[in-house]
Amino acid sequence: MNDRPTLYAMVWRLPLILWQAAFFVVPLVLMAAMSFWLVQNYRMTPNFVADNWLRMLGRGYFWDAYWLTLGRAALAAVLASLIAFPASYALAFRVSSATRQWAIFFLIVPFFTSYLVRIYAWQVLLAEQGPINAALGLGGMGPISMLNSGFGAMVGYLTLVLPLVVILQTFSLAAIDRNLIKAAWNLGATPRNTLLRVILPAARVGLILGATFAFILTFGDFVSPFYLGGSKPPTLSILIIDTTKSGQQWPRAAVVAIMMIATLFVAAFAALGAAYGRRK
Amino acid sequence: MTEPLVAFRGVEKRYGASVAVKSLDLDIAQGEFVAIMGPSGCGKTTTLRMLAGLESPTAGTITIGGKVMNDVPAHQRDTPLVWQSLALFPFLNVQENVEFGLKMRGKGERERRTLSHLWLDRLGLKGFETRAIDQLSGGQRQRVALARCLVTEPQMLLLDEPLSALDAHLVIRMQGVLTRLQRDLGITFVYVTHSQSEAFAMADRVVIMGHGEIAQIGTAREIFRSPKNRFVAEFVGRNNIFAGDVKAGILATPLGPIPLPEAPDGPAEIVVAADRMVVSRAEPGPPAIPAAFLSEEFGGAGIVLYFEAADGSELKAQVTEGELADLAPEPGDAFWLHWPPEAAHRMKG
Amino acid sequence: MKPGDIVARAYLAALFLFIFAPIGTSILFSFNADRFPTFPLTGFTTDWYARAFARPEVWQAFRNSVIVALCAASLSTLIGFCTAYTDFRFGFRFKSAYLALALLPPTIPLVIMGLAMLAWLSQLGLSGTLTGIVIAHTVLGAPFAMAICRMRLQQMDPALEAAAWNLGASPWAGMRRVVLPFTSPALISAFCLTAAVSFDEFIVAWFVSGLNKTVPVMILEILQGNVDPQINAIGTVVFLTSMSLVILAQLMILRRRAA
Repeated sequence: MNDRPTLYAMVWRLPLILWQAAFFVVPLVLMAAMSFWLVQNYRMTPNFVADNWLRMLGRGYFWDAYWLTLGRAALAAVLASLIAFPASYALAFRVSSATRQWAIFFLIVPFFTSYLVRIYAWQVLLAEQGPINAALGLGGMGPISMLNSGFGAMVGYLTLVLPLVVILQTFSLAAIDRNLIKAAWNLGATPRNTLLRVILPAARVGLILGATFAFILTFGDFVSPFYLGGSKPPTLSILIIDTTKSGQQWPRAAVVAIMMIATLFVAAFAALGAAYGRRK
Repeated sequence: MTEPLVAFRGVEKRYGASVAVKSLDLDIAQGEFVAIMGPSGCGKTTTLRMLAGLESPTAGTITIGGKVMNDVPAHQRDTPLVWQSLALFPFLNVQENVEFGLKMRGKGERERRTLSHLWLDRLGLKGFETRAIDQLSGGQRQRVALARCLVTEPQMLLLDEPLSALDAHLVIRMQGVLTRLQRDLGITFVYVTHSQSEAFAMADRVVIMGHGEIAQIGTAREIFRSPKNRFVAEFVGRNNIFAGDVKAGILATPLGPIPLPEAPDGPAEIVVAADRMVVSRAEPGPPAIPAAFLSEEFGGAGIVLYFEAADGSELKAQVTEGELADLAPEPGDAFWLHWPPEAAHRMKG
Repeated sequence: MKPGDIVARAYLAALFLFIFAPIGTSILFSFNADRFPTFPLTGFTTDWYARAFARPEVWQAFRNSVIVALCAASLSTLIGFCTAYTDFRFGFRFKSAYLALALLPPTIPLVIMGLAMLAWLSQLGLSGTLTGIVIAHTVLGAPFAMAICRMRLQQMDPALEAAAWNLGASPWAGMRRVVLPFTSPALISAFCLTAAVSFDEFIVAWFVSGLNKTVPVMILEILQGNVDPQINAIGTVVFLTSMSLVILAQLMILRRRAA
């Protein structure tokens, strides 16, 4: 009976279309168009020139930032997946389902609480005179300089992505048919073989999704590299902010933004292919 | 026959390329209890939903009381439906569920209260007015669903497999409740089911559907004794079907010749109900078919014996307990199945 | 308990310690008398709260945040519900494109959303206004609201709405009498979660806010200056606000599932 759209149907369908067209699609399209605009004397004029593209992509510091961001995001995705896995495994197989539900609940909570304040707290914790170095000092060690480094940024990234990665991994592990694992045991598989040949392949989608989300989130994050990573050398998101906030260089920031979106698209499609594609 | 209450004329329902119902013609009289029966996917539920206005026919017309209903939306029809899932509103209590239809018709609170209490009493739900739906048993929910439909005093009630979720003993009880209600109220019931026992126990007339078409319309007896075609014979079950070519009054089948004196030459199919089959160890006169005993099945309506004929086809015969004791069959034993010639019903197509 | 279980639990405890350490630290130091956050703690004080909330700009920022969160949550929930219902109830051409449009925003990095929003809102003359932040936060929140409403509708017997029409309710009455009552816990839940999202969001807000700062934008700007325990105090209040919203949202979801 839904052959032709009725007034009733349109009332529910249109709000999203109108809103997202006006405030999601148009801004992104405008930003893409803006990357071809001309900036003269701190004024933007609509135009169609490749100036900004040539200028940004022709500079060493853009590519330095690009590879740094890409490398850090990839490292964060790998580290988060590795650190999360034992926890997800424990949640999926070693605790009761009630404990699992509570754990998931407590993993969701930080997702909706201020990332900024948490990063500030890390700034305090990791500081030269901070509690962690004080504790190390009691043991006659340190102080270690942890802030303003790749290490600091990584701590921030993990704060951001670990809860989500654990949730995704736990769901995919918990969904594995227990009989599959029992069958592997019965067939004489060692725990190692069971993990490598049964559990990991069966949980493949969740593991890849977890790593992908970790990559996407860290790739675009600017808070951790800025406040814990010391902002130098800049990541792409820091580059966008610097370029936007200093003068009217929005078109150049737009170039960086489009490069980021392109990279994320490639990464997301590669991940989807790896997750849902045929085996071997 | 007077003007039918409901008339389907050439009704067809297509979803893209697939056809759910094709050229359906069906009249339903005022006060009749009609069951529409068939295997799943036969179009019976689609037919009911079209009658309720929840689907619109792709072609043809549906009239109710002489009025073409094709373009009348569901909420402007007077065709309450008892859903398979019951579809009681979980956030309303029993009384609020029952009053829903009255409220939609703009009835005042006092009238709603009076009518809902009347029907809850009538269906044995007095004292349950303020219960939440999830505090009721399956049978009680069933009756709330009935009350919710009947409280607006419709001229017909549609039922879509309403008893399929109930325990067997409750099904029998609810069948009684439904038949009595229908008789007392004198309104039309259109009852969709895949269960023969429900359909044959309650309905005045049974419509058998298969592959989107009506395969046969008739009383329980007509459908059992003279199935119109192979589909019906197989669907109602406990039938033996013999197919072949008739030549000079003899039906030549893979199992042997069967005399069919009246029949004209050409291909023919006959059906013999299991309860008309006679089993014997000695060879009787024709018509008779030799077969090996396979197994037996105890059921409510006697014992069914299963045999395998020479070509591997399965044959059935219904016997009494005493007959079974006399036959004392062992798997593999050779028997003869025969029947009085008048028990063979020749199918049309 | 098997040794394996003990190791597993210890590992889980360490992980949760890592995740919740910053939250705990922030709350702890918001009550510490010393200006510099070191151990041992020097004494209990509520001074930082008093100082923070003595500043009119902090009050102004909270007022802005609350206004933005309420408006953005209302709009997100409205759009999210409409979208979820459309997905639940109707099939149509280009539906997958429609759903992609609904669910894509969270995959775009916030910095980029901030830049794009700034570019577009300044064209519209809305940059630097609370309206601008509300618009941006609605784009970010609607997908969450949609997901929550959709999950709730998934639990609804599709016959329920049809049953309402069958009993004489027009589609509009069916919406009011059946779909909305059934979905209401999810609506509250979606409202709370999108309010929390808005209340914590600072990147896009920072790009488009100008002088009308929200709380996290103000924290961001204080952070660029010196160490200031007032941040812990403000941060703790922000935490408690969004935590309560999230917990409320979860309770609504769990309570309905139990029913």
